[in-house]
Amino acid sequence: MDNLVLEVKNVSAGYFERGYHEVLHNIDFNIKHGEIMGLVGESGTGKTTLTRVILGIIKPQSGQVIHYTKRPQIIFQDAYSSLNPCFNARWAVEEPLKIFGKYNSKERNRRVDQMLERVNLPRECWNMLPSELSGGQRQRVCIASALIRRPHFLIADEPVSALDVTIQAQILNLLRQLRDELDLSYLFISHDLNVVYQLCDRVLVMKDGAIVEQGTVKEVYNNPKHEYTKSLLAASV
Amino acid sequence: MKIIVRLLLTMLLVSFLTFAAFEVVSGDPARTMLGTEATEEQVRALQAEFGLDKPFFERYILWITGCFTGDLGLSYSYRQPVSVLIGSKALVSLWLCLLSFAMIVAVSIPLGLASYKYSGRILDPLRSIVTQICMAVPPFFTGILFSWIFGIGLKLFVPGMSAGFVHLLFGAICIAIPRIAMTVRLLRSTVVSEMNKAYVRTAISRGNDRSAVLRKHVLKNSLVSVVSFLGQTLAELVGATIVVEQVMGIPGLGRFLVTSILHRDYPVIQAIVLILAFWVVLSGVLADLVNHAIDPRLKLSGEGREL
Repeated sequence: MDNLVLEVKNVSAGYFERGYHEVLHNIDFNIKHGEIMGLVGESGTGKTTLTRVILGIIKPQSGQVIHYTKRPQIIFQDAYSSLNPCFNARWAVEEPLKIFGKYNSKERNRRVDQMLERVNLPRECWNMLPSELSGGQRQRVCIASALIRRPHFLIADEPVSALDVTIQAQILNLLRQLRDELDLSYLFISHDLNVVYQLCDRVLVMKDGAIVEQGTVKEVYNNPKHEYTKSLLAASV
Repeated sequence: MKIIVRLLLTMLLVSFLTFAAFEVVSGDPARTMLGTEATEEQVRALQAEFGLDKPFFERYILWITGCFTGDLGLSYSYRQPVSVLIGSKALVSLWLCLLSFAMIVAVSIPLGLASYKYSGRILDPLRSIVTQICMAVPPFFTGILFSWIFGIGLKLFVPGMSAGFVHLLFGAICIAIPRIAMTVRLLRSTVVSEMNKAYVRTAISRGNDRSAVLRKHVLKNSLVSVVSFLGQTLAELVGATIVVEQVMGIPGLGRFLVTSILHRDYPVIQAIVLILAFWVVLSGVLADLVNHAIDPRLKLSGEGREL
């Protein structure tokens, strides 16, 4: 069982609001080092709840979440509203380092420059506000700010759904390239099966708070076992 | 630069309207001053003294050029330059305004944030009751109350006499109370809606705790609407000062304005209206400038409150 970054063991979880409503039922999977794990399922199946459980915002009712790396990070679908409209790109990327507090401003600047170059944000955009950036550039800023403290595990919650197709491809390439360069593993959430097929190594298919199928992308796509996966694949063609 | 030009144009328009308005209402000031018994010669002599024999536009031009050099004309009832009569009183009112505005800013922003931070089953209804009461009590009532308790009862100041610091301070408190309550409520509700935005979620996921999010992220985004409101408040303060000066016997512009209206002393009224208009326009401009300094988005889009 070595080389894991995350292990989710038989997790059930939900919300308390006038009684307990269970959203996730016996979720069980792991993510290996350097792997990109896809998570597909329609809206309302509990994908976001699962990310919250993984990040420790919600405690599981039963089961366990084990992190083998420190500081998991997350990027969201809507990069525009994810960024504070009052601060420019550099500020957003630098902030986690300021909170971390171990580096002086010269070292912080060096790291920020390096990271902004790594995510291919054009230099003239570095001091721009979110409202001046394009959708793809905003997502690059979000990725840079998530990766600035060098996590090894990143949750990407529908990071490209709001982007048009050419920009989607650029961001997916960037994520793949960053995985190799920075020694990352991803949990990549999407409702777009084509995107998952392009990017991921393995995939989880979720329905009504339970994982109905998991396996390598090729297995699941070529030989779907569960009815739900079949209907998803049929719908995406 | 553009702002200053706009400010000047607004002021010019206001001055013209004021001047024209009194031209329409007034009838003949000389005749009013002298009463029904006056002879034609007396009337004409007085008209010449005040320059009333000249045509309307000439008088307006004279008046407005005078304004730029600080010469606001002669008071009908005191026969003294308006600028001399107004000067010290305007200063008292200005202090009263600034003092209460400083209180509003200094108290309501920390209090607004605190009222967001601390909430609970007992605290929430209590807060809304206190806010409602503070908003509902008009300054003239607190003015009467304070004059009675602190002036006549505790003898901290003498209503109607001086404009000492303590006197002004209590006047300022009366004016500030309802506006503090309004600002606190506005800031709280703005913060509540900002806290639900997605950038707050990101900020927390990047390692901020709740108070850092409030301080670094949310406050800056919330301040724009609060600053606009405060600009409006600064403009409205003059209205409140007029009433409170009257009630607490503070010898400021407001009290002078009321007596001048009673005596139909048009040059004085015109001058005060002009000063008040200038104050209102200036508050708007100040709020805009502060907002531009706080929120970099306004610089790009060039949006902002129209003057």
